[in-house]
Amino acid sequence: MTTTHAPPGQHTAPHKRSRISLEPYLYLLPHAVLFFVFTVYPIGYGLYISMHRWDLLNSNQQFVGFEFFRNLFTAGTPQFEFFWRTLLNTTFFTVVSVPLLVASALGLAVLLHRPIFGRSFFRAVFFMPGILTVSVMGILWRWMFDNQIGLVNAARDLLTGAAPIPWLSTEGLAWVPIVVGTIWWTLGFNMTLYLAALSNVSVSLYEAASLDGASPWQQFRFITWPMLTPITLFVVITTALASFQLFGQSLTITNGGPSRSTQSVIQYITEEGFTNSQISSAAAMGFVFGLMMLILTGAQFRMMARDVTSSSEGK
Amino acid sequence: MTITAPQPTQTANAPFKKRRLPRDIPRFLILCVLSILFLAPVYWMISTSLKTEADAIASPVQWWPAHPTLDNYVAVLTSPDGNILRWTWNSLFVALTFTVIHVVVCALTAYPLARMNFRGRNAWFWIILSSLMIPGIVTLVPTYIMMLNFNWINSYHALIWPGVSGVFGVFLLRQFFVAIPRELEEAATLDGASNFQILWRIILPLSVPSLVTLAVFAFMGSWNNFLWPLFTVTDVDKMTLPVGITTFSQRYTTEYGKLMASTTLAAVPALIAYLVAQRFLEAGLSTTGLKE
Repeated sequence: MTTTHAPPGQHTAPHKRSRISLEPYLYLLPHAVLFFVFTVYPIGYGLYISMHRWDLLNSNQQFVGFEFFRNLFTAGTPQFEFFWRTLLNTTFFTVVSVPLLVASALGLAVLLHRPIFGRSFFRAVFFMPGILTVSVMGILWRWMFDNQIGLVNAARDLLTGAAPIPWLSTEGLAWVPIVVGTIWWTLGFNMTLYLAALSNVSVSLYEAASLDGASPWQQFRFITWPMLTPITLFVVITTALASFQLFGQSLTITNGGPSRSTQSVIQYITEEGFTNSQISSAAAMGFVFGLMMLILTGAQFRMMARDVTSSSEGK
Repeated sequence: MTITAPQPTQTANAPFKKRRLPRDIPRFLILCVLSILFLAPVYWMISTSLKTEADAIASPVQWWPAHPTLDNYVAVLTSPDGNILRWTWNSLFVALTFTVIHVVVCALTAYPLARMNFRGRNAWFWIILSSLMIPGIVTLVPTYIMMLNFNWINSYHALIWPGVSGVFGVFLLRQFFVAIPRELEEAATLDGASNFQILWRIILPLSVPSLVTLAVFAFMGSWNNFLWPLFTVTDVDKMTLPVGITTFSQRYTTEYGKLMASTTLAAVPALIAYLVAQRFLEAGLSTTGLKE
């Protein structure tokens, strides 16, 4: 550690010997203890659990090695079938929802960026759903898309006279309330990030482009979009991470149905572990799914690491 | 884009703005339509909650409650299946306790990491930072078994402690502390201030915005936590609001008037908090790029 700002000579020497020795570690201690107990230890403990046949009613756990990991890669086991199917469901949700969540947030931010009458009201309206808790949001959207008399079916009836669609009980269509609800619920976060990024784009660029006769689309394509690339990368990664963690929305809106077609992988893991009491199997799935997530969490980590490095250089 | 630095003179700017005004009208109309779409579910929630159960599912649909009533609210608030006020209190207590402990623990850790020199400082910082890469699902099952072993199932402890050492808060505060000019601290050191006094009298007062941001996010995170309390708290009296509400959705499967009354009641504290904390929330999001 090379500190550029350490007080010169005379001050550092006595400090190092007498005080600095222990004090910093005392500050770190409370967090370090909790960090060890609730972050480090559970990883090792989870590995231990996943390699035993964990029985909640027994104190002696039988060692089974990698059996539960092998199950996940052996065709024919229920774990194989449901783990990969729900993982596919979750991936489908991510692939569909991330572009929508990023594009609609960007669109709204562009609409709201320039001053307009009622701007803060609009901002508040678009952000507000995000503060609702997931079960409130889920129950509300289940009602909105009710098979018979939901508002969506009522509006369709009013506009086109079409017969109600049983959204919640039709495979495939059951994703619609989940995706629409998720967009409604989380759009405001990405929009706020984009608005902040947009306010950092110099107005003079637009003024110059507009004097040169650039159309609004050209301005967006050649100024806004390139200037927003870093924040877009961030938004895509965090949104994809959040989408892969799908749990509450599908649980409360469709409860994974019909016939597991909207069950997320996390819901399946909790079902395996907590409903079926297959603790070890669920722990193994957690590891396998977690390892896949590492691609995204790793990318997120790199972004934060860059932030740390640049702030250290700047100090 | 090689254009000389713009000279935003009054004369050049004023007509530019005026010309744009008519062009703002379509934009304004689009925003109005989108706002209506965004508010429709909220209107529908409140409107349904004020209808009788028969009116709620009446066909053709009732856009406005024909026989407005508060019966659903009375039914929900006096429900024998769970006390929504009790759940709100549980959520509030858990979220507040969690927030206080989390902010204190994070500040204590971020301080030496940002402002002191000691052996292993960088190593430790990178170790805890890299834990951000561990997806929560990995530790879900083992932490649940730990709660069983600690006998913490159905206790507030399970809802408070496991997340307290979250590293994002350390990262956020460390980044902020690092940016505080050293000169203030050096002057205080010369005056004989201890490290703790520097933290308490200089660093923390200067960091109020980032502390508030962290507190708002910690509170929201805990308040909205769903998966973990869903499995660690099964005792109806110990449930938090998000979990309690879902038991209503199982109890009143198709009684949408009551369901919407319960979700409206659950949304009210969040909406009030949002109006109060809006400034910090949005400022925090913008400055940290932090997201739920």
